[in-house]
Amino acid sequence: MNLLQPLFGALANAGLVLLLAPLFQGALRKLTAIFQSRQGPPLLQPYFDLLKLLGKEDIESGESPVVQRFAAYLSLATVLTMAALVPMGFAAPLNGAGDAILLIYMLTLCGVSTLLAGLAAGSTYSLVGVSREMMTMIALEPLLAIAVFVGAIQAGSFRLERVLNGSVYAAGNFPWSAVVMLAVMLFSFQAFVQKVPFDISEAETELMEGPLMEYSGPKLALFKYAQMAKLMVYSGIFVALFAPWGSDLAFPINWLFFWAKVCVLVVLVTLIAATHARYRIDQALRYFAGLLAVAFAALILASYGH
Amino acid sequence: MIAREKLSLLKAKFGDAIQRADMPDENRLFVFVEATVLKRICAYIFAEMDARYVISIGADDRPFSGQFLVAHDFAFDHDHLLCSVLAYLAAENPKVDSISEVVPAASWAEREMRDLVGIEPVGHGYLKRLVLPDGWPKDVHPLRKDVLWNEVPEGFDENREFTFDEPPEGCTVVPFGPFHPTLDEPAHFRLYVEGERVRGCEYRGFMAHRGIEKLAESVLNYNDIPVMAERICGICGCVHSVAYVQSVENAAGIRPPPRAEYVRTVLLELERLHSHLLWVGLACHVVGFDTLFMQSFRIREPVMWIAEKITGNRKTYGLCVVGGVRRDITPELGAELRQVLDKLEAEWRAVAEAVLQDRNIRKRTEGVGIANKTLVKQAGLVGPVARAAGVEMDCRRDHPYAAYNRVQFDVITAQGADVWSRVEVRLREVFESINIIRQCLQKMPDGSLKLEIRNEIPSGRIGLSSVEAPRGESHHFVITGENNRPRRWRVRAPTYQNLQGVPAMIKDQQLADMTITLGSIDPCFSCTDRLETIELKSGAAKVWSHSELFNLVRRSR
Repeated sequence: MNLLQPLFGALANAGLVLLLAPLFQGALRKLTAIFQSRQGPPLLQPYFDLLKLLGKEDIESGESPVVQRFAAYLSLATVLTMAALVPMGFAAPLNGAGDAILLIYMLTLCGVSTLLAGLAAGSTYSLVGVSREMMTMIALEPLLAIAVFVGAIQAGSFRLERVLNGSVYAAGNFPWSAVVMLAVMLFSFQAFVQKVPFDISEAETELMEGPLMEYSGPKLALFKYAQMAKLMVYSGIFVALFAPWGSDLAFPINWLFFWAKVCVLVVLVTLIAATHARYRIDQALRYFAGLLAVAFAALILASYGH
Repeated sequence: MIAREKLSLLKAKFGDAIQRADMPDENRLFVFVEATVLKRICAYIFAEMDARYVISIGADDRPFSGQFLVAHDFAFDHDHLLCSVLAYLAAENPKVDSISEVVPAASWAEREMRDLVGIEPVGHGYLKRLVLPDGWPKDVHPLRKDVLWNEVPEGFDENREFTFDEPPEGCTVVPFGPFHPTLDEPAHFRLYVEGERVRGCEYRGFMAHRGIEKLAESVLNYNDIPVMAERICGICGCVHSVAYVQSVENAAGIRPPPRAEYVRTVLLELERLHSHLLWVGLACHVVGFDTLFMQSFRIREPVMWIAEKITGNRKTYGLCVVGGVRRDITPELGAELRQVLDKLEAEWRAVAEAVLQDRNIRKRTEGVGIANKTLVKQAGLVGPVARAAGVEMDCRRDHPYAAYNRVQFDVITAQGADVWSRVEVRLREVFESINIIRQCLQKMPDGSLKLEIRNEIPSGRIGLSSVEAPRGESHHFVITGENNRPRRWRVRAPTYQNLQGVPAMIKDQQLADMTITLGSIDPCFSCTDRLETIELKSGAAKVWSHSELFNLVRRSR
C-alpha cells in the first residue's frame, strides 16, 4: 500500500499534466488571439498539432541523431518527473523520494535537454541559441534556488511537502523575504516558461527556433509537449510556494482553488507575452542580475527570521 | 535660374572640359563632360557643392552614337534640382575612372555597370561581381544592345557556387539568408561574428534579378512598361510606375492634366499608408511584439479595400500611362475614402501613442543600427533612414511631382539616427499622408484624366524622375528611343542605396540586432501571390478563382 500510493500518485500527476497541458496552451493561444483582434485557433488545436506531429515520419538529422533523440526524451521525461514532485491540488505524490534540492536539479536538467538539442543540431543558429540558453540558465537557476531556500529556511526543512506549501510565509514576523521573493518570481516567471519577452534562446525571427531548428515530427512533438507541460508544472510550483491559500480546505474546494490560481497565472503570462517585445540577451541578463541581487537580499532577510 | 547658376559654377571650375549642357527646364541639368575629368567633377559636385549622390548609369549607345555612355546622377535637394553628369566612352574596351573613391555611395552602381554593360570602373576598390552570378561567362554583358533579352550565353554554369571572401581572423561566419524567417526575399549576408557581436559582413544579392530593364528596352513599348514597372515591387509598385511615366514625360516635355496629377498623388499616398502600416507591424514582429503586428495589419486592411475599390486591385493598381492615369476617383469613392481615413487616423493615433510610450520597444531599438549624417551622405541613404538621422530630405517637397506642390505637409525628422527614430518617423508620417489625401480630395479639379499624345516621343532625350517611395527616393532615368520604347531605362529603388549602408549599421552590433537593423531600412520584398492546391491522391490541381479566394479570406466580415 505504502509503495503503491506514491506510484499511482506520480502516474496520476504525470497523466494530468499530459492531459491538460495542451488545453492550457490552447487557452493561451486563444487569449493571445483575442488581444490581437484575431479569431485564433480552436481551443483544442494544440492536441491536434501534437497528434499530427507524432504521426509524421521520424527523420534523423543534425550532427548527432542519437543525442537529438535522447534530448527530446529527456526534456519530456524531466518535466513529467517534476510533475510528480509538485503538488497538483493534492500533496506531491513523490514526497518521500526527494527534497527541494532535487527539484532544483530537475529544473537544471530541463535546460540541459535544450542544450543537448542545440548541440546535436550543430548549426550556427542552434549554437547561438545554446549559448543564450546557457547564459539564461546560469542567471535563472539561482533565482528559483533562492526562492526554495527561503521557503526551506522558514519551514526549517528541505522536505518537499513542507517547502511546497506556502512555506515562505512561515516566518514568525511579517514575511518580508517572502513578499520580496514573490515579486522577484513574478518578474522572472516569463523566463522560466520561455515566453516573450524572454524567449531569447529560440527567437523565431532571429534564430529560427534556435536549438529546436533541426527537430521535426515526433521528436518535435515531444519537445513541444514538454514546453506546454512546463507552463503547468512551473505554475504549480509557483502556486505551491507563494499562493498556498485554500490548500488546507476540504476536497474538492482546495483542488478547485489550486487550478483557479494556476489559470490566473496562465492568463498573466499570456498578457505579458502579448504586450511585450523580446529583450536582447544582454538586456535580459542585466535584468536577471538585478533580480538576483534583490533575491540575495531576501535570502539574508529570511536567515534573520523575517 | 538655379540650373544656370550651378552650370556657371562648374564652368568656372572646369572650363573647356564641359562639352555641352542641357537645361530642358529649371529643375533639370544635363552636363556632358570629357571622360577624363568625370571623377574630378563628381568629387567637386559631391563634396564642394554638397549635392546628394543618386545613382550611376551605364548605357550601350553604340548603335546611335557609336560610343558607350556613362551618367552620374546627383540631386541638389535644397535647390529643387536634379543633375546628371554624362560622358561618352570609347566603343572598344570602355573604361572610366571610378568615382567610388570620392563618392563611396557609387560603389554598387559601378559594379553593376561593369557586370551588365561592361564598362570598367578603373580604380574601384572592390571589383567583385554584384548582379551577375559567378557562373556567368566573363565577356557577356546582358545590357549591351548586341545581347538578346532571352539569350543564355554559352558557357553559363548555373550550378556554380558563389566564391566568398575570407572572414577576418577570430570570427565565425553566420549565414543570414537567402532563406530566413524575417527575410522574405533571397539575399545572402555572411555575417562575421565574434561571440554575439557582428564584426562585418559580405553581401550577395540579386538572386531574383528579373531583367526588367532589358525587357523594357527590347520588347515592351512606352505604355506597356508602367504595368511592368509596377511589378518591380510588391509594396511600392505605384511609386515605380509613376516614377517611370514621369521620367518619360520629363524627357518628352509633356505634363499630364491636373486631375491626373491629383489622382496619382492620392494613390501614392494610399500606398505609403499601407506600406508604413505594414512596416511598423513587421518591425514589431521582428522584436517579438506580435500583438502590435496583428493590430497594424488589421488597421491596414481597409486601406487595401479602398484601393481595390478605386483601382480594381489591392496592389498593382494599373494606374499610370504616359501622360495621365487610367482610373478616376469618383465623388462616391472620395466620400468612402474620407471615412476610411477618419477611422484609420483614430486607430493609428492609439497605436502611435502606445508605441511611442512603450519603454520595452524603445529599449530594444534605441541606439541600434546607427546611420548618422555622415553615413547618410557617404552611402547616399534615403527616405526614413535619412530623415531619422535629422537629414531633412523628401522628394515630395524637394523635387515636387504630381500634385505635391499644391498640398501642405511637414517633412518628419528625428535626431536619433537609430531604429527607434525610424519607427518614430514612419509612425508620424502616416498622419501627414492622411492629411495630404484629404487636401487632394478637396482641391482636385475636374477635367480629363489623360493627354492624347499624337506625336511620337522624340528619341535620344533624357528624363529624370525622383519619387518619394515609402522607404525612400525611387529614381528613374530614361533615354527615349525608337520603336515607341526607351533606349535605356534605369531604375534605382531606395533599397539599392540603403542596403549599402547596412554593413556600417550592423558593425559591432549584437547579432540579435541584425534583423531589426536590416528590417529598419525596410528592404524591398517582391512577390507575386497566387494560390494553387493539389489533391494528393488524384494529383488534380485546382487554381482558386478570385471570388473563391475572396470568400475564403473575408468569411468573417
